[in-house]
Amino acid sequence: MAIVSIRALRKTFAGAAAVNDLDLEIGDGEFVSLLGPSGCGKTTTLRLLAGFLQPDAGEIRVGGNVISSAHLLVPPERRNMSMIFQSYAVWPHMTVSQNVAYGLKFKRLSRHEIDEKIAKLLAVVHLAEFKDRYPAELSGGQQQRVALARALVVQPQILLMDEPLSNLDANLREEMRFEIRRLHEEFKITTVYVTHDQAEAMATSDRIAVIDRGRLVQVGQPGEIFDRPKTRFVAEFVGKANILTGSYNGDGSVQLNDGTKIHVSNDGASAASAEVAVCLRPHNILLVADDVAARKLAEQSYNVFRGTIRRSIYFGDAVDYTVQLSSQGTLRVVTQPDQRLAAGQQIYAAAHPNHCVVVRD
Amino acid sequence: MRFSDPTLPVWVGAALLLVFLMLFPLAAIFRTSLWDENGFNLSRYVEVFTNEQFLKAIWNTLIISIWVGAISVTIGSLLAWLVTRTDLPWKKAIRALVMASFVTPPFLGAFAWTLLAGPNAGALNKLYRAMTGAENALFNIFSMPGLIFVMALYSFPFVFAMIANVCELISSDLEDAAEILGANKWRTAMTVTLPLALPALVSGFILAFLQSLSLFGAPAILGLPAGLHTITTQIWALFQYPPRLDMAAAFSVPLLLATMGLIAVQKRILGRKGFSTVGGKGGARRLINLGRGRMPALVFVFAILSLSVFLPYWILLKAALSRAWALPLTWDNFTLKNFSFAFFEYGDTQLAIYNTFKLGILTATVGTLLATLIAYITNRNLFVGARYLTFFALAPLVIPGIVLAVGLFIAYTRPPLVLYGTIWILFVAFLTKEMPIGFSQAESTFKSIHPELEDASRVLGANRLLSLKEITAPLARSGLIAAWSFIFVGVIRELSAAILLFAPKSKVVSVVIFDLKEEGQVGVIAVLGILLLLVSFAVILAVQWLGGRDVMGTRE
Repeated sequence: MAIVSIRALRKTFAGAAAVNDLDLEIGDGEFVSLLGPSGCGKTTTLRLLAGFLQPDAGEIRVGGNVISSAHLLVPPERRNMSMIFQSYAVWPHMTVSQNVAYGLKFKRLSRHEIDEKIAKLLAVVHLAEFKDRYPAELSGGQQQRVALARALVVQPQILLMDEPLSNLDANLREEMRFEIRRLHEEFKITTVYVTHDQAEAMATSDRIAVIDRGRLVQVGQPGEIFDRPKTRFVAEFVGKANILTGSYNGDGSVQLNDGTKIHVSNDGASAASAEVAVCLRPHNILLVADDVAARKLAEQSYNVFRGTIRRSIYFGDAVDYTVQLSSQGTLRVVTQPDQRLAAGQQIYAAAHPNHCVVVRD
Repeated sequence: MRFSDPTLPVWVGAALLLVFLMLFPLAAIFRTSLWDENGFNLSRYVEVFTNEQFLKAIWNTLIISIWVGAISVTIGSLLAWLVTRTDLPWKKAIRALVMASFVTPPFLGAFAWTLLAGPNAGALNKLYRAMTGAENALFNIFSMPGLIFVMALYSFPFVFAMIANVCELISSDLEDAAEILGANKWRTAMTVTLPLALPALVSGFILAFLQSLSLFGAPAILGLPAGLHTITTQIWALFQYPPRLDMAAAFSVPLLLATMGLIAVQKRILGRKGFSTVGGKGGARRLINLGRGRMPALVFVFAILSLSVFLPYWILLKAALSRAWALPLTWDNFTLKNFSFAFFEYGDTQLAIYNTFKLGILTATVGTLLATLIAYITNRNLFVGARYLTFFALAPLVIPGIVLAVGLFIAYTRPPLVLYGTIWILFVAFLTKEMPIGFSQAESTFKSIHPELEDASRVLGANRLLSLKEITAPLARSGLIAAWSFIFVGVIRELSAAILLFAPKSKVVSVVIFDLKEEGQVGVIAVLGILLLLVSFAVILAVQWLGGRDVMGTRE
């Protein structure tokens, strides 16, 4: 059952729509990321959810009750939500345990219960020994954990996170992704997570909602978003993508603009003879040097292109090639490091139709 | 079910109060100067610009202000440069003493200088006569040059504060870059340093010019005995019997327009792009070695500070402690009677001291509260049009105290709001006049507090007012204490608005000092002046000690 239900949500600033006709259902205990480039309206959506902003149209319901609409706004303090902010927003004039205790003050609990809850949460986020420190005496990662503990201790119905990791350095960011997922599995709180980092969204989320210029373009599980992007924007924003353009024949093949015909998979994204784009992920393309292997792949209904290696970059765990196709254009290909091909070498690039995904332009 | 924001009335109320405070007196001035029993006419403006006496006052004001501006910029920027960019010794002490001249009310400085350089009994003139055997006075302070000299002494700290900030932000890298490209020291100074500092210099000139345009006390004390009127003293004279309120109002308008115009020019200069690079993060600064110039520079600095601080303070202290101030302070001449007379015997002082501190505390408290609410509204953009409130909060910057007083006098002597005759009209005047300093303090305080800190509190269950109390107020505390203190110090030294608005029961210390001057009660004036100075310094030192804030806004 959907606990959060966003319908036809719209918010404009100075005439420009920051959030435009957005629909989204979020289930109980689900972790959903709002993913998109900066300025796409994802933070606005989150602040609409929190009640800091009032929508111009549409509504937000939680458990069936309207909490936001153009005519009604339940203030943030009455929504039973928690939020984690980009700046952590840990209060500098309170100690760690005072920060964590803050939200419990409004819950009519006994001193004993409060202490117990604080102790438990601080242990969960590994901050027990820092409880009497002031935020200025903590590292960025520790401050982030204080923010997490403060948000979780009140056992909110919904947890909102606004790019919580963007102020951390790269190593810490990776560590905190797992930490956030671990805490989610432990507490099972319905969570909406805003980020522009696709790896972060993949690592933490049950489902990802990709947002572009205020509109929701695709919602799905991380694998779905990555392997079956519906639009060119999703394909290019989530991971790297080679995009080939042509027109759809209606029989599972696409006539590319350079005349080549390739077999594709199409989830109903496009009708016959429409202009389409085809997304090929670099790591889904095989490179083979000899004719025999290429012919064998073609027999297995792979699309096979002739080409020349133009450039290769060695990354240690992978090699990144730029292949000049003999028909037209170039392909980015990522392979295992044990296969080493030199620049200038004639090769075949092969991609299975399952990995050639038709997307809307 | 609709949940409305229960705190909204607080914000809207504060905003309306501010707009009312600013518009009501200004509207009164324009109304009175433009309408009379014959309806709308410009006859009073015609008189302002044709009456010889008025034209003379305008001319005097212009001459005085230009000189004060020029002298202040010269002294202020030299001092600022010496203190920030060279290896001059005792910088901390010099800064503290410049701050002391900043805090000294100009009317008190002017009074001290009548004792120092009055033509007959002035201490410096007597010294000169004793040393040279001459008959005449070396220096007559009751003159145009005397007036300019004293006003410049108490205006240069404004320029100093401004230039010192800029000098500290021009990094040596900028100058090094020019030298590496082949410019010598002189060319570097002329092509890099000076152009970078130029907007601040022009702006400092305007600031000092404005200051002397709106001063009342010093010109009244030094100019009037010499028959010299300025615009402010002329407006005051129009209030004396028989009062010509309509003329005072009409005479206020050119002054108001002049200050508005100058502030607009200053804003343009400071808003220019070239200046913002100076405002960036300052790089490393190396101090210039003064070498042999060190001693003369130090002498110059202390000469200036003697004129603005040491000599006036010395003569005030001497006057306070002696039976006859003009005689040497010997054991026979020593007395504490001035203190007991001032505090326990002289009729007006007890009430005036009580009124002054009551008004100071009241205005500072209400003013800080209002400024805090307004700054919060503009900073968090609580409702449509919130940013226009900044304009209203800063508007008194362009309203000279005496002009404000003319407006308030007209506005609050007739129903529906009759405040004249009570201390409440002074309260309204001070509240209005001190709003800019309180607002800018509160504004910069809120700017430094990330809004998310408050959002975090709200999500966890506290409403907006509770979040303000629990989160924002503790974080803003030192900034708001500073706002309170600056308003307090501003109020207890205020003369130019009080002089038109006081009534027998609502005298304040500055007004009593002004009155006592007529009676020649030098000892009592000195005692009251010292009291004002001591309280001001105590408050300012407390703020610096509490929050590390500097009354002049300079960095250490």
